[in-house]
Amino acid sequence: VADHDNPLFEGLDDERRAPPCVLVVFGASGDLTSRKLMPAFAELAENRQLPSAFAVVGVARTEMSDEDFRARMREAVGEGNPAWENVVERFRYVAGEYGEPETFDRLKEVLDEIDRERGTGGNRVYYLATVPTVFSIVATALGEHGLARPATEDSFVRIVIEKPFGHDLESAVELDRQLHAVFDETQIYRIDHYLGKETVQNVLALRFANSIFEPIWNRRYVDHVQITVAESLGVGHRGGFYEQAGALRDIVQNHVLQVLALTLMEPPASIDAQGIRDEKVKALRAVDVLTPEEVASDVVRGQYDDGWVEGEQVAAYRHEEGVARDSRTETHVAMRLRVDNWRWAGVPFYLRTGKRLPKRITEVAMAFHGVPHLPFQAGQAKGLDPNALVLRIQPDEGITLRFGAKVPGQAFRVRTVSMDFSYGAAFLEETPDAYERLLLDAMIGDPTLFIRTDEVQEAWRIVDPLLKAWGEEEAPLSHYPAGTWGPKEADRLLEREGRKWRTP
Amino acid sequence: VADALTDLGKWEGHDVRLPDVLAALDRLRCAGQVTATRTSVVSLVVVAPDAEAGQRACDTMNTLGARHPGRTIVLVLDGAEQGHLDAIVTLHAAPLEGIATWSEEVVLTVRGGARRHLDSLVEPLTLADLPVVVWYFSTGPRPGDPLVETADIVLVDTKEMGDVAVFPEVLELARRRPLIDLSWVRLTPWRVLLAGLFDGAAYRKFVTGVHAAEVHGKPGPRHLLAGWLASRLDLPRRALHLADARHAALRLSAEAGAERAVFVAERRGEERLVRASAHVENGPSHEELLPLPDTSLAWSLAHALSDLEGDPIYEQALAEALDLVA
Repeated sequence: VADHDNPLFEGLDDERRAPPCVLVVFGASGDLTSRKLMPAFAELAENRQLPSAFAVVGVARTEMSDEDFRARMREAVGEGNPAWENVVERFRYVAGEYGEPETFDRLKEVLDEIDRERGTGGNRVYYLATVPTVFSIVATALGEHGLARPATEDSFVRIVIEKPFGHDLESAVELDRQLHAVFDETQIYRIDHYLGKETVQNVLALRFANSIFEPIWNRRYVDHVQITVAESLGVGHRGGFYEQAGALRDIVQNHVLQVLALTLMEPPASIDAQGIRDEKVKALRAVDVLTPEEVASDVVRGQYDDGWVEGEQVAAYRHEEGVARDSRTETHVAMRLRVDNWRWAGVPFYLRTGKRLPKRITEVAMAFHGVPHLPFQAGQAKGLDPNALVLRIQPDEGITLRFGAKVPGQAFRVRTVSMDFSYGAAFLEETPDAYERLLLDAMIGDPTLFIRTDEVQEAWRIVDPLLKAWGEEEAPLSHYPAGTWGPKEADRLLEREGRKWRTP
Repeated sequence: VADALTDLGKWEGHDVRLPDVLAALDRLRCAGQVTATRTSVVSLVVVAPDAEAGQRACDTMNTLGARHPGRTIVLVLDGAEQGHLDAIVTLHAAPLEGIATWSEEVVLTVRGGARRHLDSLVEPLTLADLPVVVWYFSTGPRPGDPLVETADIVLVDTKEMGDVAVFPEVLELARRRPLIDLSWVRLTPWRVLLAGLFDGAAYRKFVTGVHAAEVHGKPGPRHLLAGWLASRLDLPRRALHLADARHAALRLSAEAGAERAVFVAERRGEERLVRASAHVENGPSHEELLPLPDTSLAWSLAHALSDLEGDPIYEQALAEALDLVA
């Protein structure tokens, strides 16, 4: 956001640019840093959204010199542009164990040095691209070394952490307790990259910038809602992690419930961090917690067997690298949720996510009630489906409206047609990558697209009963061939109520 | 820049009437063999002084491909007094992430009295409810041109029109209608760069203490940049030093209490690089080398089309620039 104290920025309000700061990446030698953070920085540099007074300090256990670190980051991005080269030149590296005070003493020295030389003014953003077990160790050490609080009234210190935020409600509360012992909630930026996606944010624009959708966005018009987060990929090299997480923790607790919250929420008083997050929390709070009996009847967990995806034969989950041969981890979850509030009472929300499904797609489909009476003769409206509004989040971002139209010709026949709006085709601007957007937001200090502590806890409140039910006994696990939309039991979840999953 | 366009259909007519053109558009849409999404965001009207300029405008618009779909209406002004109309209508499909998106291009060669009533040709062709952008390609509108009144926004390029000589008429037009000057758009990266040099507590305090500004560059852009600095920083005429140069360079000297600082943004010789630096005497400093911003015609047009609003900062900068020229 343009600096309003600077008269030269007047009229340049749309030009988002980070303020002077040092970004400290913990886990700098890891995969996330190379694969996501550095390409995002390169893009920000190319778009001139990084300030001149800016530096990156990498911290990790691997022994490396500043120059080795720079070389590694250059390699991560590939052929860079001069602006990126310029940024990399300012990279510094601190090697050390996160549990050792010397690491943070050295970090403090480096940060002070950068402040003096470049005028970064004590502004810090700590990015924890580490395994979650290290979060509280790093946070505590930063506090003990006087690195967690802004040095002056004008400066800022923020900490960005990656999901998972705990592995259940209890551990999430404990993690927050440890973070809050050092940082205020306003300093903590919990990242769910899904919220950085342009089209997830477009849900807000669609709902709250148009007068035609909101009046029908309720139980009176909506028959049911389907949210699908489908991936065609398997677990890849993340088998070890996935064995502990499963689809419920990996996708449902965060991505799916965030999309659900944006779909459910009431209009906020203002589109800002507090307005949006307050409403999201209220929405999540209205989601009914499932009883053990409901978990058994309304939730289906599945695991993929071998099969064919996108023309290629793929192995079963149990034959993936790092996965136990007798694994009972779910790679697919389908569930029916109820939302008890004025707007949504009685409207079922069907959520599903899975790996090795036929294609990668994320969408929210609002299925509307049919008309009370079809004034057509038998056969005239054969194949006419109820109206649906589909928000396509990825790929091919856009909106589809399904409605009935007369088939041209002498006869009077009505058929379902789809009207498509393609988001990418209507606007000139390149869509920023989610990490690019969120990194810039963290540096600017806009927490709107980050998850607040109460959101995390509300999401765990919804998911916890499922974890408990699945943990306490031998929970049923259905299997599905890779390349299909999931186990048959997931289909039955809707069929028993006279509905069916969309085929996205 | 999008992938290449595919022509889905084309119709040409000589000595035609406007209803023939509208009918041709309808026919082409119905006969399209490719399933394409028709998402429109703008009607762009280009007034071109000759066929070559008209072609350049079409090429520029086509470079944007599916990224800014709509209808482009190019009016090529022919000096002949005989009043007939020639038309070429083309339906394009631009691929974008696997989807073909339609855009339409109507080129009208206008002769005779119709040249003074371009609005009457344009109004039936514009897309309903969408902004109408009228781009005067390389020349400005003639006095009293009724087409200006049909425009939601007028696009000009003072560099193409004659630089400082046209500042008075452009300022008058900007005060009357929302206007975007592509020359000003091309200066945006320079403005962002220079403004950004004052980011941070160590440098911010100097922005209100600028006492001298050197602006080097070609006439037109350097006047606009100097006018911008004068209007934003309340600099008197004597604080501004303008000099002719092939490449842009800006140098601001500033004080804050007893501290002094220098802020520089300059293109380095023939390299397509910009050196930007801030240096506080006995204090922090930074310097970076950046790629020269893309300021192609397509980029400027794209930038202008995503904004579609007049800019009061431009108007103030232009008014100051006019004083500098005087």
